[in-house]
Amino acid sequence: MKVNFAQLNQEEQRVMARLKATLALRLAEEAWRADPGLRAGSPARGVAMKIALGGAGPSIPLDIPASDSLGDTRGGSAPNSAPSSALSRRPALALYFPSAVAAMKVLSGAKGLAIPLPLGAGAFGALAFFRRASSRATEMLRDPATPGNIKARLLLAATLFGLEAIAGESYLARRMHIVPDGAVRVSVEEIEYFVVKNGNSIRVLRTVAGSSAPVHADAELSFSDCRSAIEVLSGARQAVIALGSGQVRIEGLLPLVQGLFAVLDRLSWYMGVEL
Amino acid sequence: MNDFSASKAYFERAAKVIPGGIYGSKSPGFLVPGRFPYYLSRGAGSRIYDVDGNEFIDYLCGYGSQIVGYGNPAVDGPALEQARKGDLLNQPHPAMVELAERLVALVEGMDWAVFVKNGTDATTLATSIARADTGKQIIVAADGAYHGAANWCSTNVFPVFTQAEQRDIRFFPYNDIAALEARFAEERGKIACLILTPYHHPTYKPQQLPSPEFIQAAERLCRAEGAWFIVDDIRANFRLDARGSHVYFGAHPDLVTMGKALANGYPISVLMGSEKLRKTASSFFITGTYWMSAVPMIAALATLDEMERMGGTARLAQLGGMLREGLEKLGREAGFGARVSGPPAIPYLTFDEDPDLYLNQRFCAAMADRGVFMHPHHNWFISLAHTEDDIARTLEAARGAFSRLSP
Repeated sequence: MKVNFAQLNQEEQRVMARLKATLALRLAEEAWRADPGLRAGSPARGVAMKIALGGAGPSIPLDIPASDSLGDTRGGSAPNSAPSSALSRRPALALYFPSAVAAMKVLSGAKGLAIPLPLGAGAFGALAFFRRASSRATEMLRDPATPGNIKARLLLAATLFGLEAIAGESYLARRMHIVPDGAVRVSVEEIEYFVVKNGNSIRVLRTVAGSSAPVHADAELSFSDCRSAIEVLSGARQAVIALGSGQVRIEGLLPLVQGLFAVLDRLSWYMGVEL
Repeated sequence: MNDFSASKAYFERAAKVIPGGIYGSKSPGFLVPGRFPYYLSRGAGSRIYDVDGNEFIDYLCGYGSQIVGYGNPAVDGPALEQARKGDLLNQPHPAMVELAERLVALVEGMDWAVFVKNGTDATTLATSIARADTGKQIIVAADGAYHGAANWCSTNVFPVFTQAEQRDIRFFPYNDIAALEARFAEERGKIACLILTPYHHPTYKPQQLPSPEFIQAAERLCRAEGAWFIVDDIRANFRLDARGSHVYFGAHPDLVTMGKALANGYPISVLMGSEKLRKTASSFFITGTYWMSAVPMIAALATLDEMERMGGTARLAQLGGMLREGLEKLGREAGFGARVSGPPAIPYLTFDEDPDLYLNQRFCAAMADRGVFMHPHHNWFISLAHTEDDIARTLEAARGAFSRLSP
């Protein structure tokens, strides 16, 4: 059933705004990793900024390293395994949305109030980069010519960080209560994340290809290939069907993975909310 | 490894017309996908056969419903004869009276019986009667206990249910007397019933037997509160004690639910109650289109006879004990802390060193490769159709499976 933003209750509007902001930042980050052109055009000093949402929880950071301190980005590998909530330095810019509806509008491409607050040198370069990278991420997701590994990476980031953004919602409280705590290693080909569930929060960790796991994996969820990941993560194929047909494999603490599937259902619901 | 191409082809077809392909506890994701069959075509005695022609010694027994073996002629003979004469008639068949009399005489402390279809029907009816009788709302249950798939007790924890049907359910950790006392103190004057399985068989975890003190505390608290004590024996009935699993554990419930093994796979469950609740049960509107069908009742009567003829609970315990001892010994020899929990007739293997169940999944997949169906996440069942030879073959397969796990 289609739902409009105005039909959501206050908490849902706040969660929706937070989800939109999280996805915009994380997809911008992934686009930067995937697109050499975007990396080449990014500010030499890197980008440190955050989105602040009036009344919708703590700010959400974006931390793009300086061009002379890049890690191994071959194949889109991440430069660190830090949680997405951490900023390694002082942000140059806060993009402030005074309300959930403002964030929903602007981050959906409509007109709305967004206030860029410069906090240091490089503020406007950061803003320009964010706009360019967000738009590039959307292009890459829509373009059928985008290589499968890049599309899978973008979709995986959107999905996992989406879970992180909505996990604390009261709607999910009982579900999160009965799901055991633990970490799930999620992988497809060379792409790897760890999703750590603790109480009613979810934290997503990227890992550097070839490095040791940041936490013990209580469960493993792996896609057989990027095509399967794209089918499942884009909603073209149900996860339970993909499991049965061998496109997805889960091992270990099943109730943890199954519990996250339920959070995923809620994420799908949010992704269907229209402006 | 077995070939499951026909199973997978059916699953792909199912995916187009059935939500999830196979839903609920039979979903491939609950097993180890690709290592177990998705579709079975037949069973005989202790064996099951899948649509690809693979044969397995079966330790799931139709989730416990097969107690005297698949296709047992002593049960199927009279059941099929009645099927030819008519199963679902306008009014009940006399077998309903005979079965109720038989069960009331057999199950200790129970004075009446009401027949339904699934375990969920029985547990829902039990808690409803308890609520109606006491005029109180709260149901107390153990964390992780399974009492069915209705909204009041299922794992469908959508807020629309948690705020309605699940609103008055309170949980506590099984066997934890202090926590149970605290629950009763918090909800004093509001508790309609305490519902417990005779022993704790949570999914994904080792099984727990109740301590005698816990049973005593449960009964004491119910009496003091004026709440009814329900034993949900759907999964375990007739495998521990023919008089009801509550007898095995020394409990004295007011209501008992039974199902699964009751008719060796024919669809029937029963709610039984003590005299004190007869009046409320009589005034309760209880009906379902198929609840009085004759064939399952005739099958249940035949199953009771056949269980006795085949050696009953003593035989089940003997076979289950052989399996448990053998598995634990082989596990130790291979260097694992393999532990079989639960009563001998309803065993479940876990590994002390692996609470995340990776080893369970690998062990059970390796067993399936060797023609033995053991569920990695759900307790197993012994049936009277299992033989010493089945156990020996199973242990031989286990020797190979453990060696595959060895570091």
